[in-house]
Amino acid sequence: MTRDQIKDLVLDIIADIDDEADFETLVSDQPLRDQLDLDSMDFLDIVMELRKRHQLQIPEEDYPQLASLDSCVNYLEPLLKDA
Amino acid sequence: MPASLVIIGGGLSGLAAAIRFARFNPNVLILEQHSRIGGLNSYYYRNNRLFETGLHAITNFASPGDKRAPLNRLFRQLKLKRDLFDFHEQIESEIIFTGNTSLRFSNDFDLLRSEIETAFPSAGPDFDRLLSLINEYDPFAPRPFVSARQILGEYLNNPLLVDMLLCPLMYYGSSVINDMDLGQFVIMFRAIFQEGMFRPGGTIKDLLDVLLASYQNYGGKIRLKSSVSRILRKGNKVVGVELDSGEVINCEFVISTIGYEETLALYGESIPVTENTQPRLGFMESIFEVPVTALPPASSNRTIIFFNQGSRFLYQPPENVVHFASGVICFPSHFQDLPLPATAEIRTTHLANYQLWHDLSQDRSTYLAAKLAARATSRKTVEEIIGQFSSHILYEDTFTPLTIERYTGKKEGAIYGRPEKIKNGVIGHENLFLAGTDQGFLGIVGSMLSGVSMVNQHILPKI
Repeated sequence: MTRDQIKDLVLDIIADIDDEADFETLVSDQPLRDQLDLDSMDFLDIVMELRKRHQLQIPEEDYPQLASLDSCVNYLEPLLKDA
Repeated sequence: MPASLVIIGGGLSGLAAAIRFARFNPNVLILEQHSRIGGLNSYYYRNNRLFETGLHAITNFASPGDKRAPLNRLFRQLKLKRDLFDFHEQIESEIIFTGNTSLRFSNDFDLLRSEIETAFPSAGPDFDRLLSLINEYDPFAPRPFVSARQILGEYLNNPLLVDMLLCPLMYYGSSVINDMDLGQFVIMFRAIFQEGMFRPGGTIKDLLDVLLASYQNYGGKIRLKSSVSRILRKGNKVVGVELDSGEVINCEFVISTIGYEETLALYGESIPVTENTQPRLGFMESIFEVPVTALPPASSNRTIIFFNQGSRFLYQPPENVVHFASGVICFPSHFQDLPLPATAEIRTTHLANYQLWHDLSQDRSTYLAAKLAARATSRKTVEEIIGQFSSHILYEDTFTPLTIERYTGKKEGAIYGRPEKIKNGVIGHENLFLAGTDQGFLGIVGSMLSGVSMVNQHILPKI
């Protein structure tokens, strides 16, 4: 997957969690949580969806790396390079 | 193939845990001992009519836009659309301390605040200080028991106002005698006074059916009339459960929603009773069905009334079978925009003494006579508050703590479980966790969030 595809994947998962999520004003290097009013419970859904869709096992200690859209893409790029 | 997750108990916490898990792995099985799901919030049929058990009102009302509200978090976690449900907010509720004063409240918090200003003219600034504490307090941070009664006493310096604020919160969610943990107080204050109460348009059965359908859609399985007799272990790891029938079901994880001591009993352990053991709180609930035209006019704009006729508000196991001087009156038809039914219910709730009811039940006719007498006294007490309705009763029924114990499995009919809660759900095993009543989130929204959080915290990150 390219970086843009990974970005779309993450946004698609978030849209699935919250269909009213507003991506227009999203700043890609700022925490998703504050901007989209997500909590840690919603965050787990991102991890679980990545597992469901791409069989990715993301260990708990790596969850902080999914904080912003940019850090998600950085973290997922090597894991999804063949996807 | 062993089940990935077995959930003991098909009440609301079990159903929520099940849906949450099934979203990511359908290999989950709910075992429910009763022939119906719902646990404390279920239903039964009499005279071709459905009667709800348990449900008065659902707390934690929230409008759709408020993403952080517990109700909306719950919907997101279960991936349920809000429009599957029909929301009817309360009209207005009231705390009546006979001979003293009364406080009305609704889903508009300003009503309670102005009622307090009227009834307790000097309490305004103290109440505002208490509100700041409530708004800033993190009730989910782990900490030892803090007495809400003591803190309220320090902030408000008015024993009557303290009792009046505690009364609804205790009846709707305290397992502790004459007190609450401050964290639980904050949760309940937000849930009842700041967020407010509502009910679904249909019956509890409709709500349960939606949850079950969603669960089964993900491929989750449920077995009714399946009572677990043993939890099978190897060291501190659970390997499966054995049913009353002798059948063994192997599994990787277990969530038990049936209570802490009830769960311990399934692997042969128990907690010794000592002089420090806090008693459980049992309840008696009655239903009076009347033609809607026979509802006392004075109650027409009341949803719930919390009352106390005694000199102090007591929330403890009564010395007699039932403590009639205080209780809750619920009008399930008095929520906004509900269609006018032909018949309506008046429901009453009081604290009851489990042991005395248990002793009475040694002789069936004595027990039944006591039940009739208790219902009559409850009715007379309530009529003093809301007005007469007894000559119009079409159907009436009463649940004692024994009835509740028999149908829900809750030890001693204590609907709020053990006084001591296990907030992290951990009970000494690497793959067995507690959810529901004894984990400590109470009410329908609370118990469902309990099921969801235990799955989130302990199981999803490990599968």
